[in-house]
Amino acid sequence: MAATPRRILAENTWTNNPIFIQILGICSTLAVTNNLTNTLIMTLGVTFVTGFSSLTVSLLKTLIPHRVRMITQTLIISFYVIIVDILLKAYLPEIHKSLGPYVGLIITNCIIMGRAEAFAQSNPPLLSLWDGLTSGLGYMWVLMLIALIRELLGFGTLFNIRVLPEGFEPWTIMVMAPSAFFILAMVLWAAKTLMNKEAA
Amino acid sequence: MTPDISPLALFVASIFTSNILLANFLGMCSFISISKDLSSSNGLGLAVTVVLTITSAINWLVLHYVLIPLDLVYLRFIVFIIVIAAVVQILEMIIDRISPSLYMALGIFLPLITVNCAILGVALFIEIRGYSLLQSVVYGLGSGLGWWLAIMLLAAIRKKIERAPVPAGLKGPGITLITIGFMAMAFIGFSGMVAVQ
Amino acid sequence: MSALVIAPLAVGGITAALALLIWLTDRVVNNYGTVTISINGGKKTLTVKGGSPLLLTLAQEQIFIPSACGGRGSCGACKVRVETDIGPHLPTEVPYLTEEERARNVRLSCQVKVKHDLSIEVPEELFLVRRVVAEVSSIRDLTHDIKEVRFRLPEGERIPFKPGQYVQLEVPPYAKIKEPTQRAYSISSLPDEEEIELLIRKVPGGIATTYVHEHMKEGERLALIGPFGDFYLRETDAVMLCVAGGSGMAPFKSILLDMYRRGVNNRQVWFFFGARTRRDLFYVDLWRDLEEKWPVFRFVPALSEDPDYEGEKGLITEVLARYIETTMDREAPKEGYLCGSPGMLDACMNVMRRYGIPEDKIYFDKFA
Repeated sequence: MAATPRRILAENTWTNNPIFIQILGICSTLAVTNNLTNTLIMTLGVTFVTGFSSLTVSLLKTLIPHRVRMITQTLIISFYVIIVDILLKAYLPEIHKSLGPYVGLIITNCIIMGRAEAFAQSNPPLLSLWDGLTSGLGYMWVLMLIALIRELLGFGTLFNIRVLPEGFEPWTIMVMAPSAFFILAMVLWAAKTLMNKEAA
Repeated sequence: MTPDISPLALFVASIFTSNILLANFLGMCSFISISKDLSSSNGLGLAVTVVLTITSAINWLVLHYVLIPLDLVYLRFIVFIIVIAAVVQILEMIIDRISPSLYMALGIFLPLITVNCAILGVALFIEIRGYSLLQSVVYGLGSGLGWWLAIMLLAAIRKKIERAPVPAGLKGPGITLITIGFMAMAFIGFSGMVAVQ
Repeated sequence: MSALVIAPLAVGGITAALALLIWLTDRVVNNYGTVTISINGGKKTLTVKGGSPLLLTLAQEQIFIPSACGGRGSCGACKVRVETDIGPHLPTEVPYLTEEERARNVRLSCQVKVKHDLSIEVPEELFLVRRVVAEVSSIRDLTHDIKEVRFRLPEGERIPFKPGQYVQLEVPPYAKIKEPTQRAYSISSLPDEEEIELLIRKVPGGIATTYVHEHMKEGERLALIGPFGDFYLRETDAVMLCVAGGSGMAPFKSILLDMYRRGVNNRQVWFFFGARTRRDLFYVDLWRDLEEKWPVFRFVPALSEDPDYEGEKGLITEVLARYIETTMDREAPKEGYLCGSPGMLDACMNVMRRYGIPEDKIYFDKFA
């Protein structure tokens, strides 16, 4: 079972997608999935942080003492999140404001630490970077799908551009928190059913 | 800067209408995995409440007496995380000393709490909304109790529907998410009473 | 002062303050002062620094409670009776203790911390346990997967074992293994020799056996801790039925050669050794030679997967049953001594029970 770039891509985006397998890391992003733009920016941030944290951890893996590994990884992740935060504040102040505390919460996203622990600790830097980026991609497409459904039915818009006719009655529930749980459960259901079919 | 909301209203809101988990989706990872078991849920809920109350006070002090005067607010993520990690470690040592049985009920969950987004999330909400010290502590305590309440309810419901016939693809996490969705709807029902953004 | 200087200083300052706070808490909270541990009703009293797990505290005082996992709470071997009330059993202990043990206050010594004066009860023989750092003097292949390893003990230091008992070998950290690992191996040499001999079979994926087979060199120094175990000879005149497989031969090499040396001639001794093919047989000449010299002893090797072997063929259980049926006195009292894999042991015990050997006369050492 060699880790080839292609296999990593397939596993991280489908068979081993962190959201499907353990529902990891949804805390930081699920809250903004009633809007495609916010979700795109958030998941891009997560992808960037996961990729570069994995790269950094892989580069430093021989230097980090075993006992302080966890806290060091947390600090590496915090460093990249602060960069994302500063960039957003400078170039997209409106989105930065509407994302509120959720940018900072990328730090506690289990996926990032999980990939650092499971992959970057024992693999070369470039492969770790790729593993981090593809994990972020796997995370991105699932949340973008949820955001697409919620924004379309909740506001009648996509990326804040009206697509459904004026007469469309928006579904208020889609704007509110419970729908995120429901839609995520539905996506999970569909993915699992497809996977079971593939396995059979 | 400080929002005009009475501590009592904030307390009630943070437990019910603006439940940190059901409205803000924070602390989901451990919420879903631990809620399989009632007694573990109880221990984790209590631990989250204690840590949230203490860290919201300390983080407020660090924010207002160190970061803001030195114009270093952009470093808040790193500083909050360090504070949370340190508080958790100190708490672990103290509980271990006071009572082994409490340590067993709580202590084993403490390492999980450092990376629980609810703790950092509350610290960041406090910073963004500009709460006062009293409001912050009340908000931290209320959020902890709300999280505790949510995980106990979910653990109880999961126990009840353990043997229910569920479609294969929805088994486990899927049906749990749907359950949480219904809980979130129920909690929104309180919003007529009091609401905090 | 530019932000470039202030930022690292501020983060560093906050971190340092918190580190200091953690250190202070550690000093105050984890300071249990000195406590006394009274062992076996005051036969031995230790004065120690509190705060560490009981297992570790006793080991620092040269009392070695057996432990296979090295204190991680995953083997359940380090049981100790604690007479002082130290609170309820912890969730980490419960899986390894029976109801009856919990009622008698038996605890896992790696899980309970020494916080105040204690009185505990440990088996007397543990006072004999030593930790000796010995030098690997020879490594020899016996079969394709069993090595004979001999350790030279330092001048004047001995491990006072009874033939049949075992030692814990401590393997240093290597490759991806970050902690020293302890594993139990039966001693195959005789007491009061200058060397301790172990027979170590390579377990696929085993931490300690992989080290021994692939990394260990002659001249290296490793720690041996022992003696442990209640598998040793009972001095009666009943017929001895010894059964072993693979490296389970080790304790019998020690027990039987010691009996011959002491001139034990008042009982029949049978040694059945089960293996798959000829390449799993070893020490055959040694046992044939002993048969010549020691009239009461018979060695019966049996192969289960070697159709043109001229000796006994079949599973060791079948061979054992056949010999009990055909060549032994049905009425003579017998004792069973078994050493090897759990599967083989259970099957042989069934055979022995079927032929009327009482449960309490079957002694065994299971290689889990």
